[in-house]
Amino acid sequence: MPQTSRLKPVILVVSRELLMTALLLLGISLVVFSIVYLAPGDPFEALLGAQAGAADRQAALQAMELPSTWYGQYLSWLGQLLQGDFGASLRSGAPVAQELIVTGGNTLYLIFGAMLVSLLFAVPIAVYSVNRQDAFSTWLVTMTAYLASALPLFWLGYVLIYIFTHQLGIFPVATGLHTDQPLGLSHLLLPVILLGIGNGAVGEILRHLRLELARVLGEEYVRTARAKGAPVWRHALAEGLILPVTEMVAAKLPHILSGAIIVEQVFNWPGVGRLTWQAALDRDYPVILAVAVVAAAMVRGGSLLHRCVYIWINPRASREH
Amino acid sequence: MLYRQLSLQVNESTQLAWWRTADFKDLLFIAYGLLVLLAVFASYLLGVMHWLPQDPDEIDMGAIMAGPLSSGHLLGTDFLGRDILTRLVLGIQAYFLPGLLAIGIALGLGAVAGVLAGYRGGRAAAVVLYGSNLLDSFPRLILVLLVIAAFKADIYYVMVVVGITAAPLVASLVKGKVHALQQKNFIESAVALGIPASTIIFKHILWYNCRSLLLIQATLGMAEAILIETSLSYLGFGVQEPTPSWGNMVQAGANYLLQGNFWPSTAPALAILATVLGFYLLGDGLNNILERRR
Amino acid sequence: MKLKTSIISLVAIGGALVASLVMAQSNADGRPVGGVLNYGEYGRPASLDPVTSNDMIALRINELLFNGLVGINEKQEIVPELAQKWQVSPDGGVYTFTLRQDVKWHAKAGETPRPFTANDVVFTFNIMMHPKTVTPLKVRYEFIQEAKKLDDYTVQFILKRPILNALAKFTFKIIPEFGPQNSLYLRRDDPFVRNPIGTGPYRLEETTANGEVVMVANENYFLGRPHIDRFVAKPFADQNIMNQALMFNSIDMSVLVNPRDIPELQGDKRYVLQPYNALSYSFFGYNLRNPLLADKRVRKAFTLAINRDEMLDSFFNSRGTVISGPFAPGSWAYNLDVRPDPYDTEKARALLQEAGFTAGSDGFMSKNGMPLKLSLKVPIAKESEATKRVVLAFKSYLKKIGADIDVEFMEWQAWKEAVFLNHEFDIMFASWVFDDSADISSLFHSAEIGDWKNNFGAYSNPEVDGLLAEAKLSLDHEKKRTIYRKLHALLAEESPYTFLWTLTNYAGYNKKIRHVNIHPYKFFTFADTWYIPEGKQ
Repeated sequence: MPQTSRLKPVILVVSRELLMTALLLLGISLVVFSIVYLAPGDPFEALLGAQAGAADRQAALQAMELPSTWYGQYLSWLGQLLQGDFGASLRSGAPVAQELIVTGGNTLYLIFGAMLVSLLFAVPIAVYSVNRQDAFSTWLVTMTAYLASALPLFWLGYVLIYIFTHQLGIFPVATGLHTDQPLGLSHLLLPVILLGIGNGAVGEILRHLRLELARVLGEEYVRTARAKGAPVWRHALAEGLILPVTEMVAAKLPHILSGAIIVEQVFNWPGVGRLTWQAALDRDYPVILAVAVVAAAMVRGGSLLHRCVYIWINPRASREH
Repeated sequence: MLYRQLSLQVNESTQLAWWRTADFKDLLFIAYGLLVLLAVFASYLLGVMHWLPQDPDEIDMGAIMAGPLSSGHLLGTDFLGRDILTRLVLGIQAYFLPGLLAIGIALGLGAVAGVLAGYRGGRAAAVVLYGSNLLDSFPRLILVLLVIAAFKADIYYVMVVVGITAAPLVASLVKGKVHALQQKNFIESAVALGIPASTIIFKHILWYNCRSLLLIQATLGMAEAILIETSLSYLGFGVQEPTPSWGNMVQAGANYLLQGNFWPSTAPALAILATVLGFYLLGDGLNNILERRR
Repeated sequence: MKLKTSIISLVAIGGALVASLVMAQSNADGRPVGGVLNYGEYGRPASLDPVTSNDMIALRINELLFNGLVGINEKQEIVPELAQKWQVSPDGGVYTFTLRQDVKWHAKAGETPRPFTANDVVFTFNIMMHPKTVTPLKVRYEFIQEAKKLDDYTVQFILKRPILNALAKFTFKIIPEFGPQNSLYLRRDDPFVRNPIGTGPYRLEETTANGEVVMVANENYFLGRPHIDRFVAKPFADQNIMNQALMFNSIDMSVLVNPRDIPELQGDKRYVLQPYNALSYSFFGYNLRNPLLADKRVRKAFTLAINRDEMLDSFFNSRGTVISGPFAPGSWAYNLDVRPDPYDTEKARALLQEAGFTAGSDGFMSKNGMPLKLSLKVPIAKESEATKRVVLAFKSYLKKIGADIDVEFMEWQAWKEAVFLNHEFDIMFASWVFDDSADISSLFHSAEIGDWKNNFGAYSNPEVDGLLAEAKLSLDHEKKRTIYRKLHALLAEESPYTFLWTLTNYAGYNKKIRHVNIHPYKFFTFADTWYIPEGKQ
């Protein structure tokens, strides 16, 4: 099939996706802002300390030059965003974009590292177990994956630290990507392994991959092709593996970000999860909104990628969309 | 949309008894899952009827963090000298009703949205897709924290959020199912036969074709509810003392884990492991068996 | 049982050897110079300047980076710092400070350090008091009318009215006039709050991407170069992990060791546990708007019904002091003659009965059909094991005298609104932290009842109001002390709170750090005299 006819539906999907994403970001920021606004307390507690009185809070609102109504605050935030400015954190005064860049690197490393670990774990098991349904070894490995997924994440983290730091002395207590410790690389491994293996992701990815692979391999024409000895692995790989993998990457992002909040605390990892948690406690809405918008955009990006891959592999499907 | 579609087949009207065709492994999974369900239900009943080894709130300041098999405490005591076994039995209560609530919301909301999107299509489908994407793209823990702050640090509020945020998955599965039925002209023929829409939706779509899917989602939902409460407990926002939950028990015990005192956190962690695994395997076993009935 | 992390400690020693070769020099007092002190903090400071910051972490950092006109020595006496001497007018209304002329602001390598002058002092005061400056400090300095520069090295403060111990208030930290971008007011969006310039023993080098605050020795420090080369504040999000970091040499010092980790550190010869007195205490506060709690016999009964000694022993290894009144026992205002009420359930029950309560069949008391059922609201803190222990023990003690306490944990800001704004609570649990002025007028004066005010329980007593007003106006230390002693006795009797205890804080550090003396709440005040012996750097 000529390339142009493959490209056209992809462009169509991308443009539609962009519109949807814009609407979505608007919606999510509005929802998150409303909840933050409805929650008791205000951002000024973090500025004035625990003794802040009513007058102090009012004075702070004026001094910060913030609109006094909720829609005023939201609209002024939105206006800034449209100019490409995430505003400044109310707690630290630093530009949110700058804080996101500083912590984002640490978290992206965690998220993608964890994703990689999950896939390195789940894909071989899935491929192996689909071909040999009843082997005891697959059974065993599957159980291990499920066991890791079923344990409390932070508890598993403590256990890992106890084993590797406390008893074996292999990994130092982690402090993030930027480190002057000579064993820099080794201490980066533990949090990624924890987030990749724990957090319930492996079990779910494994389950999904196996189903998809089994489905594709079970399809009529694949079976026929196989029986005739024709090479089907390419199709099976594309439809049964790459598709579900991109799909899981897209779908699991917020879930992994949730897990990252825990892992970042356990491993003292200076990432977005900790930043967001602190911001939620402080009602630091510019930070929360920025994280919401960026996270949502990333999820949309992932799902867009997935759909592009899907249409690329299977151009007929563009008509369904 | 083929997004996250389980390959459950469309028509489940095979007459053969399911256990004859089932794989031994899957039966084992289901048996274990049912055992866990039974244990969960039993300990829930024990808690409700107050048939407990000891008073769960009885503080013994002379026996703080006592080890297992110590005087009068089979599994030892926690950071307030309370009996861990009793609190373990009682801990399931934290998940039982709230978990059911979460599942109910997820399945109810998801099924309605899924059918709406699949059956009506058009604008309804767009709205459902938008709502799903909205809920899908924000870290759930943060949402839960904000809701707790806005309302109350109560497990029911947490589970409402968990339920709502789990609904998009159910909706997309149900929608996929409806699409599959449509492709087989099943719905068209039903309409042509003059069957009322409500009967088609509730009886033919949801009951005949989606019940196994919903059942599997329910088991996974329960597992997820337990794990989320545990994570929240670590951050301090899970079930609050003095009510015991496995999550807050693991959290309280884990403070002593790095000092080499494993038991107070390992006991509830194992309870979580056994239970969550039970729900996973139950879901897996059910899925495999229904798959095989194709 | 624990393996030492051989790899890590070996590397640390290797690195230090190189450092000591480069600068093997000694200070005037003969103590060695050099070494790095990594210390762990629970959380991150929001800002680093002394005007807008309000958290303890920033307060400690400010001690390293800045100076006040006057300082405080180890005996808690006021000593000269940026001011070399001062004069007080006979009526106590005018303070004139003569400044040191050898003080330079921190400068980056290659820059010429700028001198510190009277302009900076006037600037600091003015920016602090500007209405658009968001700072918790304003209320502390409202007694000052204005700051005037007399010449480059003389500053005059004119007070609105004379107050007792005014000198102690001039410990506020001075910032340079050329520092903030906005010369009128300071907000946290000013870059200065993240990159402040001071005169102190340490200079801010950077805040790393990991959130570590790196401070290096100020070679030109006017009191002599500090001994230790670098202080690095490392933020932690989990106290268990912070303790592990201390045990495995990722940090050398933890400013506050969690009580549960004390036994572990205590048994280890590699570490020193150093107590320092915290000017704070914990209490249960009662909402007197509830008619049941308006009766002081009920409040007194609650105080008698809880065994504070037992809690202190079981939960805090006896590391603290049970108190009887509204001051920290380390403070001059505390009245040692008032003994804490002993644990006495009989007397507590008798008091409840005297107040008209009768026990029902379920064991719980009630009065005129109103059951003695009260809500106890407690803020959630992630590391709140101690809080959980105390409030649940409270519930269990009160059950024994027939009071039914419903404990509710709430998110911090939600809790603050419930208690301080909406007053929807019966009992609350919290701690007050004091500075040395021991001013309790905002806690118990009836004028302090209202939205967001500190008399959350609506306690109102004309006698207490009178004593508080008298103390405020008093310019004589002894007289003020007498009034406070009277107040202490009165409030112990009235029990608007059930006063619990003040806990001893512990800093834990690697024993290689020597000459460690700690200021009760500013912590690093004397850090320029700390040192690390040459072989251990």
